[in-house]
Amino acid sequence: MHIELRGISKHFGEVAANADVNLEIKAGEVLALLGENGAGKSTLMKILYGFYQGDSGEIVIDGTTVEIDTPRTAMALGIGMVFQQFNLIPALSVAENLMLAYPKSPWWQSRHRPVWSTVLENLTKLARDIDPSKLVRHLAIGEQQLVELAKVLNLNAQLVILDEPTAVLTPQESERLWALVRQLADSGRSVVLITHKFEDVEACADRVAIMRAGRLVEVADARGKTIDEMVTLMMGQHQVAANPSVKSPQKDIQKLWIKSISAKDRRAAIVDIELQLAPGEILGIAGVAGNGQRLLADAVAGLAVLDNGEVILDGEVVSRLGRQPVNPNRNSKIGYIPEQPLENGVASDLDLTTNLSLHRLVGMPFFPKKQTEQAQAQKLIDEFNVRPSDPTKLAQDLSGGNLQKLVSARELSGMPSLVVACYPSMGLDILSTRAIYEQMFKHAERGACILWISEDLDDLLQYAHRIAVLSHGKITGILPAASADRQTIGLLMTGARKTA
Amino acid sequence: MLDSSAFNISDLTVSSLRSSTPILLAILGETLTQRVGIINLGVEGQMLVGALAGFAATLSFGNPWIGLLVGALAGVLMSSLHAGLCVGLKANQIASGIAVLILGMGLTSFYGIPYVGQKIHGFHHLLSAHWQTVPILGTFVSQLTPTVIIGLIATPLVGIWLYRTRTGLIWRSVGESVQVARATGINPAFVQVQGVLIGGFFSGFAGAAMSVDYTRDWVENMTGGRGLVAVGLVIVARWNPFLALPAALLFGGSEAFYLRLQTAGVAVSPYLLATIPYVVTLLVLLVSYYLANKEGGAPQGLTAIFR
Ligand SMILES: Nc1ncnc2c1ncn2[C@@H]1O[C@H](COP(=O)(O)OP(=O)(O)O)[C@@H](O)[C@H]1O
Ligand SMILES: [Mg+2]
Repeated sequence: MHIELRGISKHFGEVAANADVNLEIKAGEVLALLGENGAGKSTLMKILYGFYQGDSGEIVIDGTTVEIDTPRTAMALGIGMVFQQFNLIPALSVAENLMLAYPKSPWWQSRHRPVWSTVLENLTKLARDIDPSKLVRHLAIGEQQLVELAKVLNLNAQLVILDEPTAVLTPQESERLWALVRQLADSGRSVVLITHKFEDVEACADRVAIMRAGRLVEVADARGKTIDEMVTLMMGQHQVAANPSVKSPQKDIQKLWIKSISAKDRRAAIVDIELQLAPGEILGIAGVAGNGQRLLADAVAGLAVLDNGEVILDGEVVSRLGRQPVNPNRNSKIGYIPEQPLENGVASDLDLTTNLSLHRLVGMPFFPKKQTEQAQAQKLIDEFNVRPSDPTKLAQDLSGGNLQKLVSARELSGMPSLVVACYPSMGLDILSTRAIYEQMFKHAERGACILWISEDLDDLLQYAHRIAVLSHGKITGILPAASADRQTIGLLMTGARKTA
Repeated sequence: MLDSSAFNISDLTVSSLRSSTPILLAILGETLTQRVGIINLGVEGQMLVGALAGFAATLSFGNPWIGLLVGALAGVLMSSLHAGLCVGLKANQIASGIAVLILGMGLTSFYGIPYVGQKIHGFHHLLSAHWQTVPILGTFVSQLTPTVIIGLIATPLVGIWLYRTRTGLIWRSVGESVQVARATGINPAFVQVQGVLIGGFFSGFAGAAMSVDYTRDWVENMTGGRGLVAVGLVIVARWNPFLALPAALLFGGSEAFYLRLQTAGVAVSPYLLATIPYVVTLLVLLVSYYLANKEGGAPQGLTAIFR
């Protein structure tokens, strides 16, 4: 299938999300669509998928102009898309979600029919261990992504659009995805891979299309461009910030003591975690998502009920055995960037001003001064480059990357003694990632402890002082970053304990 | 002394079933409506309109089956108002539902005046007299009326339809997330309109079942809050059609029980006794709300009402 987008423009109010974009997608190719957050990549592809209607422009498939007014039409034409924000229904099972999107889904959904094995075939290929009768609500993010993928593969689409698929995948899962993408292209189908990771481009793209501020700035052969060239094209005249620096921590003083804590909830468990951090120390937690990271972060931030142990920060217990800690100081002493900020970090129906002051609500005057609050919010928004930069906008109108920035802005704005960050760079481009890192490490420089949960091994190796590996809820090893390497960490991630 | 013959088990079961049937049908309809993410507080109004229309049709055509059908269609008509207001015009669902409720009460009070005191024949007994001679089951089966049986059949049918068909899957997904449904290529507004109208059909039928088959007369506000109780019992039934039957029996059973208490001559004011079904329902609602907050189970789309 050969697709041409001609002169596509799309405005959201004042914002020109797409401006006169001309793009060709050839049969059997993998086209990487690169660009910063807010460049308009998702919007362009949603227009092709019929989710949005372009203000102007036309779509030509194999020489004929087509009108794509709904996703149904797009699917009928053989176009499938995995959205950046997931499109699964948490309350339904994996199988039901797949069945819902399956085009030849039978009216009578008996449990024992050949159609089920057809529907589940792609999922089994992608992830053998996902139980189809499990509710999607109980899956880890990476698993949900795979279900999404299976959904689109089930459409037997000639064009598969993947919106930042690797943002939530582990290195292993990413590799599997790249192989799959290549396989699709080799079988004659086209794949559009929206991303801002260059490893995606290197691993599987034939061509790259680079967008900036709603415009398509470059289309080129993937092998013909160096990373630096691509970065410059993505950022435009912006200077690419230098890598943030980190200072070595003050040794032999103990600031944060995570004292053999255990906890469990419906989705995960952590067992006997013992960690000690010095002032100014950045401790990276590596591991495959879903191994207890979220629970560990919640426990350290004082949001989970512990079954055992306690967490001591500056000599004060912030989280202790048995009961939900009541700690009025938590908000000013601990900055917490949770995973999935849309669900865990913002009140999506409230405006940015309120969201940015959530952690201070208790201490606010009875009649908060709107102007002051708004001015403060505006300052943070500008500092962290949140788009749209209007503090009266609602949090739910923000894209994933911008929500991440919003939550980081709030949690990193005070003078915390401890920063707990879960995947702080998820969904962010290079520039924003560096900006967040800079803000985070600034606190380390001041002497705060940083507990940094990430799946990006390269970043952990570069910036963290020590790296602890979490597997099945246990710490399987702690390595100084300077002497650690990917192989050792990868081995520990599989659960193999470090032998002394 | 209580008259113990008033508490014959088989009798009590049948009378519980009979008084549960209208509310069972209303719960089934409202379950379907709420499953597509719309709450309809107008069930009571739709039931009243269904009851009056069904009664009037039975009276003029002399056929109770026509009465049931007309009642159901009247319910659809009333619910189309709700569908138009809150799906079409995106009006607030609470306000729109209450409008339907008040409208139904007003219309039936006015147009019902000439029908007060009239009598209809209703259905003949389903099974011929010789069934009565069969021990135990005989009295039970011979007293079942068509609407009771329709209710008992409709319950699993709605359940299977919701959980075992593609249409049911689509409805549930619309109720969970309009956005996801749209991205999947479903037209959510279309599904929601269907959900509201089928709710109207069931509640109109429920009203007609009351006037045509249960009381066989028309009295102003004869549904007596059953429609509102049904909305609450949908929550007790956890939006699950299969659980609609026990939820309805809860109300119907306590109603049958209080009527028996009354006939048996308990020395408590009949007005107080009449509150038993409502008090029981309220208590169960409270308990189930407490449990529900732990378990979830509500269609996510219902939260949109409070935007
Ligand atoms: N539904 C929407 N309503 C308003 N603005 C939107 C909407 N979707 C996207 N935008 C805006 O359009 C621009 C492009 O967004 P998007 O296509 O999501 O970028 P990308 O996918 O490249 O990160 C951004 O400025 C974003 O804020
Ligand atoms: Mg995007």
